[in-house]
This record gives sequence, C-alpha cells and structure tokens, in this order.
Amino acid sequence: MESNKNIQEKIDNTFKAAQAIEPVSVSPFFKDKTMQRMFSEKEEEKVAWSWFSPKLQLATLACVVVINVIAFTQVNKTSYDENINQFAESYGLTTSDSNSLLN
Amino acid sequence: MEEQDFIDDLIAGKQFAYGKLLDLFQQKVFATCISFVPNKEDAEDIAQDVFVEVFNSIHKFKGNSKLSTWIYRITTNKCLEFIRKKNTKKRFAFLQSLTGNDIALDKTNYFTEINHPGIVLEQKETSDTLFLAINKLPEAQRIVFTLNKIDDKSYKEISEITDKSISSIESLLFRAKKNLQISLEHFYKNEK
Repeated sequence: MESNKNIQEKIDNTFKAAQAIEPVSVSPFFKDKTMQRMFSEKEEEKVAWSWFSPKLQLATLACVVVINVIAFTQVNKTSYDENINQFAESYGLTTSDSNSLLN
Repeated sequence: MEEQDFIDDLIAGKQFAYGKLLDLFQQKVFATCISFVPNKEDAEDIAQDVFVEVFNSIHKFKGNSKLSTWIYRITTNKCLEFIRKKNTKKRFAFLQSLTGNDIALDKTNYFTEINHPGIVLEQKETSDTLFLAINKLPEAQRIVFTLNKIDDKSYKEISEITDKSISSIESLLFRAKKNLQISLEHFYKNEK
C-alpha cells in the first residue's frame, strides 16, 4: 500500500497531464473531404426528390382526396334495409311465398 | 451585420461561404472533438459530422447566440452522442455476456485505447488514467471539465455554450475536480 503522500503526488501529476497535452493539427485534407461530403449529400438529396415538384405534390394530394371521397360515398350508398334483406336471404330467414313448400 | 451576411450566404448554400467557415472553424472544432474523444480519426469523423450538421441545420439558426457558440454547442452534443454510443455498446456487450450469448465481453474501455498525437509518450499512462476518470464523471461535470481543462475554454465561453451561468460553471468544475480526486484516489490505492 502506498503512502497517502505518494498517492496525492500521483493525483496531482494526473491533473497536470491535462495541461501537458499539446495542440493537434487537423489533417491537411480535412477541408476538402468535408466540403465534398457536404455538397455531395446535397446533390444526392436534390436528385432523389427533384422529380417530385410542388405541382406534382398538389396533384397527388388532390387524387388522394378524390379517391377517399369516392370510397366514402360508396361505403355509405348501400342502405340499411338492403343489408338486412341480404343477411336474411343468406340465412334463409325471409318470409317470401316463393320459398314456401306448402303452396 | 457582416456576420449576418455570412450567415445568409451559408443559408443560401454558397460553396465559398462553407470554405470560409471551414477555414475559420475546422481547427477549433477539431480541438474540441479531440478533447472529448482522445482519438484522432474518431475526432476528425465527429468534426466532419459537425460541419455536415451545420450545413443541414443552418436555416434553424435564429441568431440568438454567436455563430461560433452555436457551432461549439453542436460539437459538444456530437461528442457526447459519440461517447454515449460507445458506452451503450459496452453495456450491450456486458448484457450479452450475462445472457450467455457467444459474443465475448469486451473488457477494454474506449478511453484506454487513446490515440492522441498531442500526448507525449512519458505522459501517456497518466493521460490514459485521466481520460478514464473523466469518462466516469456525470455528463454536466464532464462537459465543463473537458472544455475548461482540456480544450482551454474560458468560463464565459463555456457558459455561452452550455447556456448556464458562470457561477454554476464554477460549481460544476469544483464538483468535477472533487469527484476526479475521489476516483483517482481509489484508482491509485488499488493499483498494484
């Protein structure tokens, strides 16, 4: 076990190590590499979405709205009675004469 | 007004403006990165990410602070994000070793594999210990200690970057030193 004085000396030296760190220069190609990365990413982004112009976006939105409206009206068109009759017919619950065996 | 023109050019995506930005800040941003992450390659990658982030988010810069402060804030966040990822990977590896998966436990800590050209050979071991101890500090204390003691930033600059008062910076620095003292004491006592 080391003495407390020795340990404190080591701790002080460790703190001093922070001040002894010398400045490091960035690599000479850093600027070029970063510029290339920044502007190539921008180009890629441009190419990927350039065909989807605001006019096309508006047209797509209009199409989606129209399709939704048509679908909604189609769903609401069939009446309640019609559905009930269809259900009754499917399960043989109708009271229509044509189906009676006694006639 | 001149800075505003420069910012307008950056928002417009002008290449010469980014060239100027890199000339002005590449060394400073890199210095901050290598202070947090003592590995030259990783620090350069993070510094590159910082400039790409600036490029993508410059339109969000409202001018409430200086451009340099905003850039240093991004730098600090990117560095912390990197450190968090490294620490999470280590925790994940530890959990996998507990559940009996085949992946071996990585006993080495990221901060024991220092590749910092600014650290002289005689100081390497001591610096390794220091970085290891800094990594154990709570995040707020780590930021303040690193920016002040390693990156050599003033209290005023740190206060602007972290958006905290100077008195709270002093208090965080005091607590950081105290915790480092405890941590190093423990380390050297158990050293063989």
